[in-house]
Amino acid sequence: MPAPFEVVNYVNQFFAGQGGEERANQPVVVAEGPMGSARGLQQHLGGAGVIVGTIYGGDNYVNEERATAFDAIAAGIRKLAPDVVVAGPAFNAGRYGLACAEVCRIARDMGIPSVTAMFPENPGVLSYKRDTLVIPTSESPAGMAAAQKELARLAVRLARKEELGPAAAEGYLPRGIRMLGYREAPAASRAVAMLIQKMNGKPFRTELPLEMPEVVKPAAPIVDMARTRLALVTSGGLVPKGNPDKLPGGPSDVWFSYPIGGLPTMTSDRWESVHVGFYTNIVNQNPNYVVPLNLVRELAGRGVIGSVYDRYLSTSGRGTSVSVSKCIGTEMAAELKANKVDACLLVAT
Amino acid sequence: MAKEIERAGIPVAVISALYSLALTTGAPRVVRGARIEHVCGNPRLSAEKDRDYGMRIIMTALKSLQTNVTGPTLFDPEVEMAGMAV
Repeated sequence: MPAPFEVVNYVNQFFAGQGGEERANQPVVVAEGPMGSARGLQQHLGGAGVIVGTIYGGDNYVNEERATAFDAIAAGIRKLAPDVVVAGPAFNAGRYGLACAEVCRIARDMGIPSVTAMFPENPGVLSYKRDTLVIPTSESPAGMAAAQKELARLAVRLARKEELGPAAAEGYLPRGIRMLGYREAPAASRAVAMLIQKMNGKPFRTELPLEMPEVVKPAAPIVDMARTRLALVTSGGLVPKGNPDKLPGGPSDVWFSYPIGGLPTMTSDRWESVHVGFYTNIVNQNPNYVVPLNLVRELAGRGVIGSVYDRYLSTSGRGTSVSVSKCIGTEMAAELKANKVDACLLVAT
Repeated sequence: MAKEIERAGIPVAVISALYSLALTTGAPRVVRGARIEHVCGNPRLSAEKDRDYGMRIIMTALKSLQTNVTGPTLFDPEVEMAGMAV
């Protein structure tokens, strides 16, 4: 039996067992052996692979202190010298998924095969789409065992340097890469067969899924800022204290606008953030950090901008899907247009 | 969200600490924010310096709104407001 291959598992502070949002600023740590959820991955690897180290970092830290964090992760991988790097599974945790995509990129730059796993809507899927092997997972960590089983399976194949087949066959998300291959029937026969299925309302599988990148022509720039009505929008989940309209903490399929006319600034007694994807303590003490009313009021007072729209628009961005975000954006645009808003600041957390 | 508002003809300055992500999703005008937990300022600074820090971010955002962009573009306050008074 071949010697077990060596694996490094990257996880975030929570899955390393270090804590939740309060530890999101945790610097990168390189630990020996499997820690936290990596123990589960070890079980799935069985005797085929051994986890020689767990690298973990806080979700805020790895995304904000990028250079320092990536250097530390790279140094850790170099020191542990694994055959394969496994990142996650991140499920639908956005910052974690982004970090996992970077970890895979770091491994790739070092010539080490890597694989990660996350929910298909996780923004981490977008980071290096064509270069990263991403196994789709459930949205919540309830799918941990299934995800780790798949991660282990692909890790073994990578360690053995086996060539992977197409996404559908191997169980990873399609990357948009086409490879030359052999089909049994000529194209004309396949096309007609597909057409017959389609015309009979029967299921068929396209050979070329068209992924139209959503490119939007940017709006024309503002010419006269001094006459511009500026609106404040946020996905930071800021609402009146008590959350009277019950804005979800994320994901959210609704949004609300609230009056700020006559208010010089946002204060902790009137507002709070219900966003569940970050530690809201600081924003709750000073809501201007996500709805910068004090600053735009000053600018309006100085004549730098014409006026501030007398409502701010709010939703919670955590885990909110692209399609839902699109709907929310369209609806927000309608309110903004109806109220003659010329430009917006959109603060995202 | 930002793209839909831009589509309606209203320029949007997306202010985010996760600026890479905002650029990847295709938002045309992206402004580098401070941190996830305090995007438009820094609570560790004095009130005056916090206001200056935040104002740099907002002024950068205004600059982005007045800039013609053809695709996702990053506006970094460290670059755009270097040496300028707020």
